[in-house]
Amino acid sequence: MNDTSAWSTLKHLLLEKPLGAIGFYLIVLMILSALLANFISPYNPLKTNFGNALQGPNFFHWMGTDTFGRDIFSRLLHGAQTAMLIGFSTSLLGSILGALLGVMGAYFGGKVDLILQRVLDVFMAFPIIIMALAVVAAMGTGTFNLIIAIAIPIIPRVARVVRSSALAVRQTTYVEAATALGSSHSRVILRHMMPNVMAPFLIMITAQLGQAIVLEASLNFIGLGVAEPTPAWGLMLRSAIDFAESAPWMGIFPGLAISIAVFAFNVFGDSLRDVLDPKLG
Amino acid sequence: MQQYIAQRLLLMIPTLFGVALFIFLLMRVLPGDIVEIRFTSEGGFVSEEMIQIERARLGLDQPLPVQFIKWMYGLIGQPSVDAQFPFIHLQAPDLGVSMWTGRPITEEIAIRFQLSLQVAIMGTLLSILIAIPLGTLAAMYQDTWIDYSVRIFSVGGLAIPSFWLGILIILFLLNTFNWIPPFIFTPIWEDPGKNLTQLIWPTLAIGYSYSAIATRMMRSSMLEVLRDDYVRTARAKGLLEHVTVVRHVLPNAMLPVITVVGLEFAFLLGGLVVTEQVFNLNGIGKLFVEAINHRDYTLTQALVLLVAVTFIFVNFVVDLLYAAFDPRIKYE
Repeated sequence: MNDTSAWSTLKHLLLEKPLGAIGFYLIVLMILSALLANFISPYNPLKTNFGNALQGPNFFHWMGTDTFGRDIFSRLLHGAQTAMLIGFSTSLLGSILGALLGVMGAYFGGKVDLILQRVLDVFMAFPIIIMALAVVAAMGTGTFNLIIAIAIPIIPRVARVVRSSALAVRQTTYVEAATALGSSHSRVILRHMMPNVMAPFLIMITAQLGQAIVLEASLNFIGLGVAEPTPAWGLMLRSAIDFAESAPWMGIFPGLAISIAVFAFNVFGDSLRDVLDPKLG
Repeated sequence: MQQYIAQRLLLMIPTLFGVALFIFLLMRVLPGDIVEIRFTSEGGFVSEEMIQIERARLGLDQPLPVQFIKWMYGLIGQPSVDAQFPFIHLQAPDLGVSMWTGRPITEEIAIRFQLSLQVAIMGTLLSILIAIPLGTLAAMYQDTWIDYSVRIFSVGGLAIPSFWLGILIILFLLNTFNWIPPFIFTPIWEDPGKNLTQLIWPTLAIGYSYSAIATRMMRSSMLEVLRDDYVRTARAKGLLEHVTVVRHVLPNAMLPVITVVGLEFAFLLGGLVVTEQVFNLNGIGKLFVEAINHRDYTLTQALVLLVAVTFIFVNFVVDLLYAAFDPRIKYE
């Protein structure tokens, strides 16, 4: 897939799929607010001001303030940084590793494939969050560990889907030609097979993004993700429970942010799948 | 069929062994000594000697293979004395002792399993109750406002994580009735009313989230079946539309939904980890988070294994159900 076809796919999606287009613009909006958070947020997300604690939404604090008097709107914008950073890095990392394993299984076939499949079976025997929790349990919390913990359960799921496409690519004449010309294994895999499983690869990346964001929020919510005072949506919800009565806005806005993010990635992913691979619909 | 079941059961063994090995290695081989981490997190000065004693007490001073074999040995159960049925062990597997509380893990899990299982079952039932009628309606009235409302409702289920819905439910109860569900678990046979006032809320939160995928599945599978030849035949011979749908379409359309719902049931056990936290329920999920926070490696290990075993087993049962409901499928 070269630049022009990627561009035309996107243009097609934006024109033909209104829901997917909404998702796309929401994603762009979230990426922009993550990138520009430092410039556009009205307050410092980390600055505590106990005189201002637990204010309801008002003219100065659109979404109110939390128990430490921090501005919730500013924290949401900075929380987008955490969500986008972790969402994109985990789904990219997990999908790239998964795609490599899937293509390798399809390319080598035989025993290599069989062993890979069995190992992936083992990894698929865990619900995603349990797998992530097991990794957190072993490695500890923190942003880097969180990325690893979310990326690992993505690997086998992507590997499965990519492998089935790669099996067909393996049979094509250009792979045969490349092999006949004496290309090395890594050259055939990286230069000839990987580019041709781009469609399922992209579909899987977007499909995993929404899930990665929910997972990130869940782990933060149960206190096994990034640490306070880092602004993260799940972490903001965690502290909201105790103030459900006196400050309901603390639990409403971060949750809305998560929902909008997941909604955007889901509808964009669905539309992308429809456009790239109508058979999978 | 019997042969197929036996084959599937045998194939589970390597997967389960792999799961056990993976968890075991994950917990032991990664950097950071369990005992040291636990002592330092408690604060205060700890001598090297104390660490050695604690390691020995937990059996961590033994070589890894020995530790693994011991763990496996406990899991499979002691060799049966009963020579007639050497493969049947009715005694519960010994999962070892919790590193934190010192109590047997089987006991720790047993107290909490009841609650989680009940929420999981009720959540699954609720998601079926939502998915089948809504999915059917959406398909029968495709591209009308009914269809659009159902689709928006189900996209909402995907986008609203169950823990946020849980928080919203608590916010609603607090601000409308000034009441929150009780924290103490009452078994359903002791006092069904009390039991439900506690567990109905997490069930709502989970059931809605999990109905989303099942509703979408039900809709698309209904749409497919509605276009089948035998449905046209049924209509052509003059059957009333609702008779056609109930007798001919629904039974066939429900098949793929069974798979989805079955898988969801297994996922629910995982999803409970977060939801139990919201409602402060003392179930498996909460135990799991506590185990991780306390760096209770034996307990974490046991819980992960429990979830994986449930997951694999439910998958297997779903496959069998599929064959039972669809006479066209024969496993040889």
